[in-house]
Amino acid sequence: MNGVLAIYQKELATYFRSPIAYFVIAVFLLGAGYFFIYNIFMTGIGTMDETFQSMGILLLTLMPVMTMRLFSGEYSGRTMELLMTLPLKPWQVVVGKYLGAVTMLVLMTVATAINLIPLYLYGTPETSTILSGYFGFLLLGMACLAIGQFFSALTQNQIIAALITISVLLGFWFIGHVQSFQASVVLRGLFGYLSFSQHFGDFIRGLMRSEAVVFYLVVSAIALTLNTSYLKWQR
Amino acid sequence: MNFPSTAIALESVSKRYGSRNIIHDVSFSVRKGEIVGFLGPNGAGKTTTMRMIAGFTTATSGRVTVAGYDMATQNEQAARSIGYLPEQPPLYDVLEVSAYLRFVAKVKGVARSSVPAELDRVIQACRLEAVVTREIYKLSKGYRQRVGLAQALLGKPEVLLLDEPTAGLDPGQIQETREVIRAFGEDHAVLLSTHILPEVTLICQRVAIINNGRLLAIDSPDGLHRASEQTNRVSLLATGPADAMRDAILLIEGVRAVDIRATADRSELLSIECHVDAVEGIEAAIARAVAGRWSLHRLERQQPTLENVFLRYIGETTSPDKSS
Repeated sequence: MNGVLAIYQKELATYFRSPIAYFVIAVFLLGAGYFFIYNIFMTGIGTMDETFQSMGILLLTLMPVMTMRLFSGEYSGRTMELLMTLPLKPWQVVVGKYLGAVTMLVLMTVATAINLIPLYLYGTPETSTILSGYFGFLLLGMACLAIGQFFSALTQNQIIAALITISVLLGFWFIGHVQSFQASVVLRGLFGYLSFSQHFGDFIRGLMRSEAVVFYLVVSAIALTLNTSYLKWQR
Repeated sequence: MNFPSTAIALESVSKRYGSRNIIHDVSFSVRKGEIVGFLGPNGAGKTTTMRMIAGFTTATSGRVTVAGYDMATQNEQAARSIGYLPEQPPLYDVLEVSAYLRFVAKVKGVARSSVPAELDRVIQACRLEAVVTREIYKLSKGYRQRVGLAQALLGKPEVLLLDEPTAGLDPGQIQETREVIRAFGEDHAVLLSTHILPEVTLICQRVAIINNGRLLAIDSPDGLHRASEQTNRVSLLATGPADAMRDAILLIEGVRAVDIRATADRSELLSIECHVDAVEGIEAAIARAVAGRWSLHRLERQQPTLENVFLRYIGETTSPDKSS
């Protein structure tokens, strides 16, 4: 556990010393604020539905920027040689880095709560729906981070890592839209099940389905397992 | 558990990348309290061998054992006993020196209470006092190298692997670094790779010589010294009859062979290479022999170079190969 903690602390220290994390947080907060103002004040509807939906897409494009350096940076900085020869198991490196990224996600998400102040001042929003939306948002973000971290381990080039991750995440987001073109019931079901946006939609509407929770957790677990196996295989 | 006195052992280790053989059948060992030099030109396979010992890559065949652990299966246990400075110091540029060292100490399992003392020890040993609070990206090459060395020394590992530790240092720093390594090597096992000939003769008790992925010899620095002496050459430029000059030079005691060639630019000027034994004043004798009867334009004694030493060892090791 000591190894995980040391990696975790190193990751956090690195985030707060590099401009990219600040950039990601700034863009995210600006975007989330804009979507909130647009959806609440322009439409006059006191719910977070539309805001969450837009925040989800924003998350898809920003999380890869957060994760792109996680392993690519270790390769190009020649520090992978250190990590792989210190008394650390590959899973400890993977989990430590992942927890660091999740911490940044949580900080970002908590910061958007400032938007809720006017919502509660001037309206009567449904608290359980909002909490469910935030919960789904975090789960979606965790899946994005795990996928991004895995792709970062595959290349030395941070930009390539980010681009591949964005493509894959957008694929998972829009795969639900292909559903209606499918004649086969099995494929329709599969595409619907794989869709990031459909599961997220459930949370936004206040539905905390265990199936959706498990979906995001399993996607994260698979990505992290692949990440660990890849590091082991590299030796 | 009884600690083996052999800290590093390689038993017929080979490494292939695809169809390329990087390391062929290398075997040697390093005992506790011994500094072994790993000498070879760039691209000889030093770094690959170091990486296999450190556990960064695995051997294709053969066995690497460090502190009694088989690196193929128990590399994580062995990692506790290894301090490793790779060819390029593995540093996190955005961290301060102290934060970086604290991270490595924590991962190496240094007890929380003894971390400050341990940091002080390596900072002092590597003369990093002036830059402790500085971000690593701001450091000069020499300091970066020393932060890398400090990292390797953390936790007093049983085995210290240093891949070209003095690269990029100025002469004063090289001296200091050698002292650190020498002191550490008194009760630990140190394997130090380098392509600089004097370095190994100065601090190592034994020298493993590698070229093209093959171990040519394991010798003492004295043996290496003799080998380099034996490769001494005197080269001169002179004008005169080639055969007569060859005979005159060969008469001098200590001259083993003479090779005379015409120079490209002026046909009457001859380039003469003499392979000589390490005899005091031999170049003066050659100079007298030539200048007495013909005209001598230039004479120089060539310093022993790594290449020459290599040729010597390669000559010794390849001849039995051919017969088999």
